[in-house]
Amino acid sequence: MQASATARATLSRWYWAVPYLAVTVLALSMLAVVWLLQERETEVERDALARDLQWTEQSIRRAMLTTEEFLVQLARDLSAGTLDHDGFQLRANEHLAINPALSNLAWVDREHVITWPAPFDTRDLLTGEILVDDQVEAFQNSVLSARLTYGRPYVDSRGAAVLEVFAPVLRRGESLGAIVAVYSLERMLSRLVPARFAEKYRLAILDRAGQVLALSSALPEAQQPLSLTLALDPPGNGLALQAMAFRPGGAVLRYLPSALIVGLSLVVLWSVWTLRRHVQRRVRVEKERDQLFDLSLDLLCVIDLDGRFGRCNPAFERVLGHDPRSLPGRSLIDFVHAEDVAETLSMLRRLASGEPVRFETRCRCADGSYKWLMWSINPVREERLVYAVAHDVTGRKATEDALRAESAFRKAMEDSVVTGLRAIDLSGRIIYVNSAFCRMIGFDEDELVGAGPPFPYWPPEQLAECERNLSMTLSGRAPRSGFEMRILRKNGERFDARFYLSPLIDLTGRQTGWMASITDITEPKRVRAALESAHERFEAVLDGLDAAVFVADARTDEILFANLAFKRIHGFDAVGRTVRGVAVPQPERGDYRVDPRNLSPADVPRELFDGELLHPQSGRWYHVREQATRWVDGRVVRMGIATDITDRKRTAEVAREQEERLQRTARLITMGEMASTLAHELNQPLAAIANYCAGSVTRLQSGKGRTEDVLAAMQKASFQAERAGKIIRRVREFVKKSEPQRCAVDLVEVLEDAIGFADIDAHRTRIRIHTELAPDLPPVYADRIMIEQVLLNLIRNGLDAMADTLPEARVLTVRVSTVGADAVEVAVIDRGHGISEEGRAQLFTPFYTTKVEGMGMGLNICRSIIEFHNGRLLVDANPEGGTIFTFTLPTESAIERSARSA
Amino acid sequence: MSVVPAAPDQIVHVVDDDEALRDSLAWMLEANGHAVAAHESGEAFLAACEPGMTGCVLLDVRMPGMSGLEVFEELGRRRCGLPVVFITGHGDVPMAVSALKQGAVDFVEKPFGEREMLRVVEQCLRLERETRDRRQQEAETARRLEQLTQREREVLELIIVGKLNKQIADVLGISIKTVEVHRARVMEKMGAHSLAELVQHVVALEPGASTR
Repeated sequence: MQASATARATLSRWYWAVPYLAVTVLALSMLAVVWLLQERETEVERDALARDLQWTEQSIRRAMLTTEEFLVQLARDLSAGTLDHDGFQLRANEHLAINPALSNLAWVDREHVITWPAPFDTRDLLTGEILVDDQVEAFQNSVLSARLTYGRPYVDSRGAAVLEVFAPVLRRGESLGAIVAVYSLERMLSRLVPARFAEKYRLAILDRAGQVLALSSALPEAQQPLSLTLALDPPGNGLALQAMAFRPGGAVLRYLPSALIVGLSLVVLWSVWTLRRHVQRRVRVEKERDQLFDLSLDLLCVIDLDGRFGRCNPAFERVLGHDPRSLPGRSLIDFVHAEDVAETLSMLRRLASGEPVRFETRCRCADGSYKWLMWSINPVREERLVYAVAHDVTGRKATEDALRAESAFRKAMEDSVVTGLRAIDLSGRIIYVNSAFCRMIGFDEDELVGAGPPFPYWPPEQLAECERNLSMTLSGRAPRSGFEMRILRKNGERFDARFYLSPLIDLTGRQTGWMASITDITEPKRVRAALESAHERFEAVLDGLDAAVFVADARTDEILFANLAFKRIHGFDAVGRTVRGVAVPQPERGDYRVDPRNLSPADVPRELFDGELLHPQSGRWYHVREQATRWVDGRVVRMGIATDITDRKRTAEVAREQEERLQRTARLITMGEMASTLAHELNQPLAAIANYCAGSVTRLQSGKGRTEDVLAAMQKASFQAERAGKIIRRVREFVKKSEPQRCAVDLVEVLEDAIGFADIDAHRTRIRIHTELAPDLPPVYADRIMIEQVLLNLIRNGLDAMADTLPEARVLTVRVSTVGADAVEVAVIDRGHGISEEGRAQLFTPFYTTKVEGMGMGLNICRSIIEFHNGRLLVDANPEGGTIFTFTLPTESAIERSARSA
Repeated sequence: MSVVPAAPDQIVHVVDDDEALRDSLAWMLEANGHAVAAHESGEAFLAACEPGMTGCVLLDVRMPGMSGLEVFEELGRRRCGLPVVFITGHGDVPMAVSALKQGAVDFVEKPFGEREMLRVVEQCLRLERETRDRRQQEAETARRLEQLTQREREVLELIIVGKLNKQIADVLGISIKTVEVHRARVMEKMGAHSLAELVQHVVALEPGASTR
C-alpha cells in the first residue's frame, strides 16, 4: 500500500510535469514560428532592397554615362577646335541644367590651369586656379590613357563630397588639356534617386575604405539595419552605393510577440504551479475529512430532505450493524422505532423548513434490537441535503430511565410517608422538606427551602426553646430519642411534633447537614390525655354523685366498686364486704323481677329493681335502682344506685302547697285585670247613653225636639244601657265566686260568652273566630266562670300569637267534640307563631311568658283549673303552623257515675 | 258616611269608631245647636278634610286603623288650623297628655258629662273663631299698610313710637303742616278713628310687618 501510494505520488508528479512541458514546448514552437516569419520577412525586404538598389544604381549610371558622352563630345569638339569659349559655356551650362548631380564643368589646360569654368556663377572652380595633387594625378591618368578618368572622391573646401571626371582633349595625340566635370555626391543621391526610395531607404555613398561620403537622408541609422552595398562604376574608384531599409515599428514591434509568448507562458506556468499547490492542499484536507468521517465513533451521514440516506460512515456498521454501503437510498424512517416515527417525521419537516434540530429516537439494529440515537442535524438548504450526526445514547438513556424510576420511586415514597422530613445544612438553613412536612405545617416548599432560623413554623412564644433545640441539633447533641416541639401551622394553629435527627452524609462521606423526621404527636397525645381525663372524669362524676353507687357480684354479693357517696354513707371499707353486710336499703329478694343469682352473662343487662325505699335506721327515703350487668372481667354483677330523695319529697310537698296559694293569688290578679278591662268596655255604652240622654233633654227643654227623633235616641240609649248591663253582669258573676262551684254547664254557652269577650280583641286585630261544635254535646260538670276564664285565656293567647300572621290566615278555630261518653274535648287552634320544643316544655312553669306584658300565670292557672276538673290540658304544634291547646272535661254523667261507685 | 249639616260656618267633626258613641255625641251636640259631621275613622275624616274648613275636631285616641294621634300629626302636616280635642278611654291619659304638648287644645276622658263636653267644644269654637278674626284683621291691616306711600309709612312709624308732630317734622325735615296732612291721610287709609286704634292695628301685626 505504501509502495502503491509512492507510485501514485510519483505518477501524480509526472502528471504534474506534463502541463509544464506542454507550455514550454508551445512557447518554444511559437518562438520558432515567429523567428521564421521574421526571417522570411527580412528576406523579402532584402530582395526588395536589392532590386531597388540596383534600380537606383542603374539610374545613377545612366546619368553618369550621359555626362560621359557629353564630355567626350565636348572634348572632341575642343580638340577639333570647333568650340570657342562661348560655345563651351553655352553647352556646359545647358548640360549642367539638365544634370543636377553635376555641380561644375571646367576646361583645364595642359598646365593644369583652369581656363573656362562653368557655370558662370561658380565659386568652386575659378579661372586661373591650378589643380591640386589628386586632381593632377587624375588629369595625368586621363591624358595618358586618353580616356575618361574618374578622380578620387574627396571633400571640398565647403565640406561637400565631390567626384571629378576628367575627359582628355587630345589633338593628334597631343594633350591640349582636359575637361573636368565635378559631381556633387550628395546631389547625386538627392537628385538622381526618386523620392520614394529616399523615404524607404537610407542611401549612402561610400569610398573605398567604406567611409560615408554622402547620405540621402538625415534619418538616424537604424540598429541592425538591413543594408546592401553595391559597387558603383566607374571601377577603380572603389565607390559603393549603400542602401539601408527603415524598419517600421522598430525593435519593439519586432520583439513584442516573443516577449508576449514568453511572458504568457511564464504566467501559465505560475498559475499551474499555484493550482497544483491548491489542489494538493485540497486533497490533504479531503483526506483528513475522509478519515474523520471514516474513523468517527458517532454515526455520520448525509440525508436528503425526504429522509433518505446518502453517504454513511462505517460507524453505522459498528453501532447498528448495518453495512454503510447498503444504506444509501433507504429511508431513515425505515429504521426508526414505530413509536418514534411521528416525532422523527415532525423533526424532518422542521428540517425541511431550514431549522437545525436535535432529537432522540430508537433505531433498529441489524440484529433487530433497538438503540437510542441522539440526532443532531443541520440542514443545508441550497443542497437540499442535511448532514446528520447521531450519537449512541442507549447507555445514557438506560441510566436516565433507571434514575427516573429511582427518583419516582423515592418521590412516591416521600409523598406517601406521613412522617415529615426536613433537612438543614450545617448553618441551619433548610435545604429540603418533603410533602408530608409541608402538609403537616401548611407552608409551601418554596416558603421553607432556603429559610434560615427562626423558621416560619416556630411559634413566637417558644422562640427561645426552638433556638435551643436547633443549636443542640447543629452541635450534634440532640438526644437520640428526639425532642418534642410545638409547631406553628401557617393558619396559626399549633400542634406538637416529635423530631428525630440524623446526620446527612453526602457521597464523599462528608456531613452536609442534619435530617430531621417529624411526627405529629398531637393525636396520640390527645388520645392519651383523653383517656386519662375520661378515667378521671368517670371517677369524678361517680364520686361527685350524691347518689350512692355500688357494684356487687350477683352471686356472692361482694362489693366490687363503691363510689365516694356510698363509702361516705356505709363506711370507707365497703369494698370487699357484702351488700347485705353494710345494710344498704335494698329490695328484698322477692322484690326483684328476676333472681340475680341465676343470671348468666348472656341475659344481661336487665333491670332488676326501680323503686323508693325507706332507710330504716336514718328514716330517710331513697330511690333505688338496680341493674344486672356485665362487669369488666365478664361476670354478672348488680349495679345499684341509691339516691337520697328525702329532700325532694319534702320539696315537692312544699311546692304543691305553694302552688295552691299561688293559684288563689293569680286568680285574684286575673280577676282584677278582667274587671279593669270590663270597666273600660263599659265606658263606651255609658258615654253613649249619657250623650243620648243629654241630647234628648236639651231638645225637649228647647222644645225643638221631634218626638220620633227623641224616641229613637232613647231607644238607642236603652240598648246601650243593656249592653252596659250585660258587661256589668259578667263582671259580677266573675267576681262574686271566689270558690269553684261545679254544676252541669252547657259548654256551648260558655264558649259563646268567652267569644263575646274575645271578640273585642278579635275585632281590633281583624281575626276571625271560627267555631266547630259537635252536635248534641252533653253538659259538663264544671265551674262555669272558671271554664270561661280558661277558654278566654286560651283564645286571647291564640289571638296574640297571630299578631304577625298574614291577614288571610288570621283564623282562630275552637272545636268542641266528645271523647267517648265521659268527656268533652275543647281544642283552641291558632295559626300563630307557634311554640318551640323547649318553650312547650316550660309552658306551664309559673312566670314563664313569651309576652312583653304578660305575667306568665295564665297557662299555669288554666292547667290548675282543668286538673281541678279532673281534665287534662295539652299543647301540641298545629301541623298548619301555630299551636293547638286541648283540654278535656268530664261530662256530668261520668261524674255521677263515679260518685255513685264511690 | 260623613253627615254634613247645612249652613253654619263652624262644624264640629266627631271622629270615633264606636257607632253608638259617634251617633250619640252628634245627637247631643246637635241638640245644643252645633253643626256636626261624624266620621267613622281617621282615614274617613282626613279624606273629607279640606283647607279652609272651620270648626273643631273631636278625635278618639284609640281607633283601629289610624290612631287619633296619627290623625293629629297628619293634620299638623297639612297645616290644618282646626283645634283638636282628644277623647280618651281608660288608660289613654298619658297618650293624650303628649298630644296636648304637641298642640291639641284639650282632652276629654270617657265617660264625659254633657256640660264638660259642651264647654270644651264651645271653647274650641271660640278659639277658632278668634284666631280666624285675628287673621282677617291682620290681613286687612297689612293690605292697608300696602296702600301707604313711603313718606306716609315713615310718618306712621314715628307716630307709633309716640313722636309728636313737631318731632316728626324735625326728624323727616319737613314742615309741621305737611306732617299733619300725612297724618290725616294715614289715619284715613288705615281706617282708624283714633290714635289708639291705629297703634293697636299696626302693633297686632307681627313685628317687622310695618317696616317692610
